[in-house]
Amino acid sequence: MTRTRILFALAGIAVAAGLWLAFTSPTDVVQGEFSRIINVHVPSMWVAFMAFGLTAASSIAWLLRKTARWDRLAEASAEVGVLFTAVGLFTGMAWGQAVWGRAWDWSDVRLATTAVMFFVYIGYLALRRATPDPYARARRSAILGAIAVIQVPLVYFSVNLFRTLHQTQSIRPDGSTMPTEMLIAMGVNVIAFTVLFAALIAARLDVAKAELAVAPAPVQADQGITPPRLSEVEDV
Amino acid sequence: MSDQAIVIGTFGITYAAIVGYAVYLHVRSRRARSG
Repeated sequence: MTRTRILFALAGIAVAAGLWLAFTSPTDVVQGEFSRIINVHVPSMWVAFMAFGLTAASSIAWLLRKTARWDRLAEASAEVGVLFTAVGLFTGMAWGQAVWGRAWDWSDVRLATTAVMFFVYIGYLALRRATPDPYARARRSAILGAIAVIQVPLVYFSVNLFRTLHQTQSIRPDGSTMPTEMLIAMGVNVIAFTVLFAALIAARLDVAKAELAVAPAPVQADQGITPPRLSEVEDV
Repeated sequence: MSDQAIVIGTFGITYAAIVGYAVYLHVRSRRARSG
């Protein structure tokens, strides 16, 4: 059994446990059934933050070492991070429509900063696709990956810096505002999504390695075109 | 639509997206391996 398959098997078990707890734990008095959505919304955003943090760390590692595997890890992590940001935005919108009465509000700083982060990392993936030269691609995306991570603390602390529609953190250093059973359910789902993240990263790295093995060797600057030799040109 | 149906639908779409991405990676990997 490969490393990827083991991770997916572990993720399957953890997700099953998370789903069971999500639908058997008590609901919030005000939000009712909709409070169960936090069991996918919070873990999705946690994974997205972790993914973009890993992209930044891998990008910095590439800038220091210039090793291709750091570039592949940065790409894999950014791609998975974009997926989980999309899931986090969608689940947040579903919850917002049900509880706030509106799915989206641009005046809310948490929502707006998350949307900006989402589009910046789509831009990161677009930049990679638009740069055919492997070295230039790795260098440009590493610089962007190392800078773009600044958005993670900005999104996370936006609810403390600007009091708009989105509520502040439920888990704080001085304790939690959530009942223990709901907290355990969310914690198990956070663990399940973290294992799922590891499995998806491993699968994405497998794809990168498989594609690298069949890809044609990149044309070097001095190999693509034979430069004319001026000494062989006849005078006209 | 009942509250429970909306919640189940939200979970369903979430996991469909994640499983869909995993299947996409699996197919892409197999295609690359087969040349």
